[in-house]
Amino acid sequence: MSAAEAALDARLLAAHAAGDAAALAALYAEAGDRAEARGAVDAACFFLTQAYVFALEAGHAAAATLHARLVAHGREA
Amino acid sequence: MPDTRHDDLSSVLRDVAQATGLPNAHYTDPATFEEESRAVLHGSWAGIGFGKDVPEPGDANPIDFLGLPLVAVRGRDGAVRVFQNICRHRGMILVPERGKLRGVIRCPYHSWSYALDGALVATPHVGGPGQNTHAAVDRAKLGLVELRSHVWRDVIFVNVSGEAPAFEAYAAPVIDRWREFEQPLFHGGADSSFTLDVATNWKLAVENYCESYHLPWVHPGLNSYSRLEDHYNIEAPGSHSGQGTLVYRQFRGRNGETFPDFAGLSDRWNEGAEYIAFYPNVLLGVHRDHAFAIVLEPRAPDRTVEHIEIYYAAEATDPALRQANAALWKTVFEEDIGVVEGMQRGRRASGFDGGRFSPAMDGPTHCFHAWVAGRVAEARGRPRAAE
Repeated sequence: MSAAEAALDARLLAAHAAGDAAALAALYAEAGDRAEARGAVDAACFFLTQAYVFALEAGHAAAATLHARLVAHGREA
Repeated sequence: MPDTRHDDLSSVLRDVAQATGLPNAHYTDPATFEEESRAVLHGSWAGIGFGKDVPEPGDANPIDFLGLPLVAVRGRDGAVRVFQNICRHRGMILVPERGKLRGVIRCPYHSWSYALDGALVATPHVGGPGQNTHAAVDRAKLGLVELRSHVWRDVIFVNVSGEAPAFEAYAAPVIDRWREFEQPLFHGGADSSFTLDVATNWKLAVENYCESYHLPWVHPGLNSYSRLEDHYNIEAPGSHSGQGTLVYRQFRGRNGETFPDFAGLSDRWNEGAEYIAFYPNVLLGVHRDHAFAIVLEPRAPDRTVEHIEIYYAAEATDPALRQANAALWKTVFEEDIGVVEGMQRGRRASGFDGGRFSPAMDGPTHCFHAWVAGRVAEARGRPRAAE
């Protein structure tokens, strides 16, 4: 795990501990972006799914974009 | 344990002059409590809470009603809906405590997520990691289980069985009686809200509330201006019963200040007030300048939590006056605790026949008993639904 990934992991755990859905949406989206950039589609869709659900919970506008990305990958209806 | 199937209710259904009250088992026996609850509380429109506890869109309030985990949610459209508070996936409790939902209702277990109208909108990883659909999981058929619900006078009513008439038809007699009070209610805030945890069966709270016979003995403070002869009985078989007074004195503060009146009331309400038990478990009171609603939450055959909320005709009222009014009512309702708990203990006397009624004074109580007995008898006559 790279230092950047380790830092992201730590921020994710902190956001989970705080129950901060908006932060979780942003951090999982960041993890999804990283995975997508390296061509790991399955991993990206896992993270984007996590991001999408927390965005829905937070009532965050990013939910629509995340939903569209998952649909584009054939992972969401 | 008594065999409730042979619990004879015919004497309860007689004319008030010959009738006896409900048998002891209806107050003490768990099996009878369950049978009666299905017939009376599930089968009709029961009060479970208040709209004021979910004032804004996204507000959610979990409610335990006879062991049923429910949640009241105010949607983005402003409507209050009541759902079973469980996920359609593994039956996990969805909303553990009162709060505001910023977006969807997300199950804390596997994050199946529901819109505030109950629609299932997300099923993360249901088809495998990162795959959020599966042919076997039809979201359109897996929304939250919604109960029939209706908000009237800020009370949230539900019909658990799904078989009661429409609320408007069910409540028509009491709505018609109080047509003049069909106008906005404003809850008085934190100082106009209190609960009483009482060691009694919920029906005894109804029975005590709907008759004036006890007033001079249990509420002697009322004698100075609200004498027994100033009261009248209200009996609407199958719907509600209670009492009215002809000498309500508008509530006044130390300096003569008053609450604003409800708009457009007829002269009869200048000194009139009425107190109605709306069957099964909602106690209501109206006066020219305030109203209250009490939801009786049956916790056990011998335990009831009374949720008492006071409302006014305007949003802004004098806080000190509100506090004084709430204190007055709390005193009155606390004075009743001794008798409803005493009657509950009395139901342990073997051979008690349910008691005899005063035909002159106990009509409202008998009216309620006859309704309960009729509902239970009717349910016994029906084939039991599969559970």
